[in-house]
Amino acid sequence: MGALGHYLEEEGIATVGISLIRPQTENTKPPRALWVPFELGRPFGPPADPGFQRRVLLAALRLLEHERGPVIIEDFPGDDPRAQPHSAWQPPVSATAAAKDARALAEGLEDGISRLEDSHRGWVEQNHRTTVGLSGLKISEAARYVAEWVRGKSPPSPREGYSAPLLMRFAVDDLKAFCLEAAAAGTARPSSRQLGDWFWEESAIGAALHALRERCLASEDERVKLIAGNFIVPAARVRITN
Amino acid sequence: MARLTDLPPAQAKRLAEAECPNFDMRPWVTGPALSRRRVAIVSSAGLFVRGEVPFRGRDADYRAIPSETQPDQLLTSHISVNFDRTGLQEDWNVVFPLDRLKELAGEGTVGSVAATHYSFMGASDPLEMEPHARQLASRLKNDRVDTVILAPV
Repeated sequence: MGALGHYLEEEGIATVGISLIRPQTENTKPPRALWVPFELGRPFGPPADPGFQRRVLLAALRLLEHERGPVIIEDFPGDDPRAQPHSAWQPPVSATAAAKDARALAEGLEDGISRLEDSHRGWVEQNHRTTVGLSGLKISEAARYVAEWVRGKSPPSPREGYSAPLLMRFAVDDLKAFCLEAAAAGTARPSSRQLGDWFWEESAIGAALHALRERCLASEDERVKLIAGNFIVPAARVRITN
Repeated sequence: MARLTDLPPAQAKRLAEAECPNFDMRPWVTGPALSRRRVAIVSSAGLFVRGEVPFRGRDADYRAIPSETQPDQLLTSHISVNFDRTGLQEDWNVVFPLDRLKELAGEGTVGSVAATHYSFMGASDPLEMEPHARQLASRLKNDRVDTVILAPV
């Protein structure tokens, strides 16, 4: 992001950036940056908190009024209140992560997605949006496609112009978005950690994706290995296996 | 879920010490008062409008997001799985603060909002992004944009 700021300023456009990783910003030395102490993925703070988001945006834009620079790096004086767990939130009722063999894990994934459909409909009614759609497949199709990979097969891509490993990654992203949206439906406001703990440690879908990662790491296809190693399970959630 | 301190040490170190181009020059563009500036958002969240071409791998180019885009049209195809997406799922302003920017323009704090905003995919090589960023500057100028808010994830 710092490099983008540099290029745009060189072309005559003033920039101010949000910084989520202060050491990185100190290295790139952009013209102006506002460091925020929020988790990665939330540069403007908590969702559904317009007042907080406005304070972050305005604090960044105010850096443009400094007359002396570069480099300006200021710290935002406040933390994300939604980072705290919400005691009223309960994980959705879904298949649990008890299965061990590939066939059962794949069935658990498809069944788990099916069980969350009502909750996800509730999410869409509540929020008027979904971020599911990257793969271009219906969610049941995405589940079926990923389940085939979990079973140890390498199914061809059902979409022209998308390789099978790329479509597998996109379908996995859709499954994650679908589950996390479904799990957040309702009036409770879970933290991202609560949602992640449920998905990666307790849900049948998360268990299947852990297994998918392991299975794909043993692939002879370097693209599949690359995706498995880096783009299915977050680094902080990877299980160490012997 | 993932502040830098929550990541495995090796991953955190890699991010904190990510290699960046070493720039000799330190550009510094000033401008009019905030109330007279035209502002665009440039994100690195791998955002794209539903139906358009997603980022594949480490594509270094960018996607355009018209100002009239609705929240249910915005998707991400960022390659990284190490940042929180639940905030964006609930409220796009967490990553792409278009509603907040329009409010600031509506009350006169900011001059105006660009007709189009843009997203790169932040895990791309900054050197490969350079020609695209310079071409983007021309597009921004054609839209009379003089200020960009850079939004990472």
